[in-house]
Amino acid sequence: MNTAMSAIIRKDFRGVSANRRLFSSLLILPLLLVVVMPSIFIVMIHLMPDDPDTAKLLAIMPASARLSSMELTLSGMVVNYVLPAFFLMIPISTASIMAASAFVGEKERHTLETLLYCPLTLAQIFRAKVMASFLLSMLVSLISLAAMFAVVETEAVFLMGTLLVPSISWAVVILLVSPAISLIAITLIVRGSAKAQSVEESQQSAVFLIVPLILLIVGQFSGILLLNVWLLLGLGLACAAVAALLLKTAMGKFSYERLLQ
Amino acid sequence: MEAVMIHSLSKTYPSGKQALKDLSLSIGGGEVFGFLGPNGAGKTTTVKLLTGVLTPTAGSCSVMGIDPARQPEKAHLVSGIVTEHAQMYDNLTGMENLLFYAAAFGLPRQEGKARAESLLRELDLTDAKDRRLASYSTGMRQRLSLARALIHRPDVLFLDEPTSGLDPESAQNVNQMIHGLARREGITVFLCTHQLRYAQEICTRYGLIEQGSLLAAGTLEELRGRLFAAKTLRIRAANVLGNPNLTECKLKRRRDDEFEAEIRENEEIPALIRTLVEGGGDIYSVSLEEPSLEDIYFALTDKRNDSRDNRKGEAR
Repeated sequence: MNTAMSAIIRKDFRGVSANRRLFSSLLILPLLLVVVMPSIFIVMIHLMPDDPDTAKLLAIMPASARLSSMELTLSGMVVNYVLPAFFLMIPISTASIMAASAFVGEKERHTLETLLYCPLTLAQIFRAKVMASFLLSMLVSLISLAAMFAVVETEAVFLMGTLLVPSISWAVVILLVSPAISLIAITLIVRGSAKAQSVEESQQSAVFLIVPLILLIVGQFSGILLLNVWLLLGLGLACAAVAALLLKTAMGKFSYERLLQ
Repeated sequence: MEAVMIHSLSKTYPSGKQALKDLSLSIGGGEVFGFLGPNGAGKTTTVKLLTGVLTPTAGSCSVMGIDPARQPEKAHLVSGIVTEHAQMYDNLTGMENLLFYAAAFGLPRQEGKARAESLLRELDLTDAKDRRLASYSTGMRQRLSLARALIHRPDVLFLDEPTSGLDPESAQNVNQMIHGLARREGITVFLCTHQLRYAQEICTRYGLIEQGSLLAAGTLEELRGRLFAAKTLRIRAANVLGNPNLTECKLKRRRDDEFEAEIRENEEIPALIRTLVEGGGDIYSVSLEEPSLEDIYFALTDKRNDSRDNRKGEAR
């Protein structure tokens, strides 16, 4: 990464983070997903009477998921099997906002031509744009993650008198699956923004095409979380490989002429 | 080495429009080259080809020996580019914009800051440096664009209509700045404009283009020599009509005391004046009227239209 690329990353990143209203609106959906929803789950589990049907359901769960009480088992399941899938949605939805305007936003502000006159190849500009969105979505993810564990663990201590231990899968999700899937989504959205004629067009294709497709893949991960951490690791690595390949090849067919059209 | 070389360059857009036809030019280091022509003549296309933003349909070009079609990023390192569509960020201040472009051109932070400050001073923008670009007037924006294009000390400066949309005073300021910067920093300037009067003030050589074809190129003297055989000498004088050698002077009376003579060389002037004075004439003023760039431009376009009409006539 050279100075020029990091200058673009800093500039794009500042463009969003300096705009407090935009940045705080970026945090609303993540906080809803990882703070409000889990709190509702945990309070409901606490208030739920002992139900034989739920006991039957828990009996067929893997032994590793079972804890000392039904409340703890269910809360543990929420933390370890439901929340990771919610958590994966955060960087994707965050990225869709910034990445969708990566190229077309510059085009609308008449700054794209100036950017293309910098001594960088198109691939380098593309990677810088992807990195800026990626860093922003990772920042929002980390803020959400910290908020989620702070709230969920506090609730667990108050309601159940104990901390909920996150499984090893969380580490794989945070360190590998989440960055890899976000990178795939961001690369596709930034590429779309290079083709689009307006920010609206780019956001629509991101929100209605790319994000639902990625979320469909994310949905599959909640099943995989139940199976095996090694499988999760393998799939995470596969996603990372796809992301790297996309990042390398996505700008292959683009030319200055096509970008400025 | 020539700073800019253009060899048989042609560009046809995907729509089928042929914007540039077989253009050949070369521009030496330190020249201020005026590339002149009406809107849609192919000036912007030429700049885009020279900066690697467009790829040529045929022919080739180079900037400081670098082919912009093959290595645009390297060509950008030696070029500063100001075009109408190359704007900067409204949400950043003038200084922040310059610091961003300095970093994008690989300048270390301290050096970029020092360079930005000196350019802002030279372009009379120091007072506005901490204001957001959104509050800048068109003239200030153009000056900041000039600072942005010069931030990395380019060898060649491409300016596409740098004074368009500016009032005459701001346009003159920008032109004087371009002139001053080119002279001080020894930069080669490729200036596209249709404002011929401004071009004549700052350019050292010219290329005139129309409908994608180069009509002529050369210094003002060369172009004058090529198109106009004679120059007009205007004389305000009294008591010259009785001069016996008046016919020899080829003097034509325009008004009461105003006369005109057609001359070929400046060396003819002293002899002519001497004849008038020796014949008892009183000379009040003598001015040599040489064809302006505008005259040259219209003479060239008329010539082209005439030859086109002739061709059509012959075809009929």
